[in-house]
Amino acid sequence: MKAIILAAGRGTRVRPITYAVPKPMIPVINRPVMEVLVRLLASHDVRQIMVNTSYLAAEIETYFRDGARFGVEMAYSFEGRLENGRFIDEPVGSAGALRKIQEHSGFFDETCVVLCGDAVIDIDLAQLIRLHREKRALATIALARVPRDRVSSYGVVVTDEDGRIVEFQEKPSVAEAKGTTVNTGIYVFEPEVIARIPSGVTYDIGGQLFPKLVRAKVPLYGAKVPFQWLDIGKVSDYYDVIQMALRGEVNGLSVPGIRVSEGIWAGLNVRLDPSQCRIVPPVYVGGSATIEPGCTIIGPTMIGPGCVVESGAYIEKSVIFDYTRVGFCAQVRNMMICGDYCVDPAGTVIDLAQSDIDWVVADARSPKKALTSEQQQFLEMLQQGRADAFEEKPRREVYAA
Amino acid sequence: MEMDVEKIGEVAVVTLPGEHLDVSNIKEFKRNIASALQENSRVVFDLRRLRFVDSSGLGAILACLRQLNNAGGDLKLCEVSKPVRALFELVRMHRIFEIFNTKEDAVHSFAAVEETV
Repeated sequence: MKAIILAAGRGTRVRPITYAVPKPMIPVINRPVMEVLVRLLASHDVRQIMVNTSYLAAEIETYFRDGARFGVEMAYSFEGRLENGRFIDEPVGSAGALRKIQEHSGFFDETCVVLCGDAVIDIDLAQLIRLHREKRALATIALARVPRDRVSSYGVVVTDEDGRIVEFQEKPSVAEAKGTTVNTGIYVFEPEVIARIPSGVTYDIGGQLFPKLVRAKVPLYGAKVPFQWLDIGKVSDYYDVIQMALRGEVNGLSVPGIRVSEGIWAGLNVRLDPSQCRIVPPVYVGGSATIEPGCTIIGPTMIGPGCVVESGAYIEKSVIFDYTRVGFCAQVRNMMICGDYCVDPAGTVIDLAQSDIDWVVADARSPKKALTSEQQQFLEMLQQGRADAFEEKPRREVYAA
Repeated sequence: MEMDVEKIGEVAVVTLPGEHLDVSNIKEFKRNIASALQENSRVVFDLRRLRFVDSSGLGAILACLRQLNNAGGDLKLCEVSKPVRALFELVRMHRIFEIFNTKEDAVHSFAAVEETV
């Protein structure tokens, strides 16, 4: 069986994380989201996988290459051009991607699975395909229920008693929504569907192709197959997925690494003495990291490979990406630190490069600089702090846990 | 950078005018805030317009607190935007300053302190 993973989006609602990586490559602890999908397909014997790429295509293509490492065959349909040494993204839409590949080689010559590359799922594809075949559907969509107050983020799908789709509502208001069953971006298509996609234009599956199929009374079915659907639409979704993964709540994903103690895992070559710091599980520490004595790490927290957490630092319910130095006076709470940015689940961003606070957060590979006199003054003033009882703890201990 | 200073009782509420307080404008800030800090011992900085602060800006605000504390007074903050609040918490400055949602709350907190003394 064949599949396509749609991986050409820009992930604008997951910025600033997607400044550095395309959404399908966002890591869930130690593997990209898209790897979860590739392995899922492989486990269902779907071993010929096309991927459309555009934004930061190289990140995807160099990681998966021809798929051999994952026991599958993969190839890419790049939607863009190279101009003056720079890549210009030219995405053609989710349906346009299918049409482009079809026109190139006729790849879709049998039933195929279509997956959006930005959700962690554990769906039983065999069951989905079985339902698709039972209904003799031309296209089948895996459906899921969402809370009513969240329907505006999704495509609501209305079906009849037989499961046949009669209407789509793309991101309706809560008042207008005719239900809470939504399109999960997981499809089974017959090749005839692709013939209905116009050539040479940007075309979207959910917003354009499906409504067209409904109008043409094509057999389009919704399948309510129960599965865990962790869609990474925005920053808060990603934060939630990592928290869940650390708590062992993501099906099929166990926290990697060596179990240091109950609920604390570490990669190789980690300098960490749990008896010297305050660590509250679940916590994962990536390879070669340094966790200095006297720091506090409260889980669920992920410390990426190569990080340095200095003595006195406080980290709680956070995600710290690779090679970050968290300074002795830092307090990182409900935050993700990713390269040059700190972002909280609500999307509030601190631009670390512009903020010039490298004694608080820096790249662990930069040699540690001596504090400038201005920074020393700043820290002294912080130390002296307030003389009155505003602080629960004596002001001397402002850096203690 | 003209400082907008409003007196509410004994408290001087200064609304910082710029969207940013950083290395590019802190000299100007320090010059312009000097008189307000000398003439008042109870000061509130209203930061509603402030969207970005860098380490120099943090240092400048902290220096104002220190100056007022040394003179027996105090500096409180209000209307802190989300990105600035996030930065304060990251560097632990939020544990040094009392931060209020509104200037009225900040001003009233001075009276509350007086009552307990």
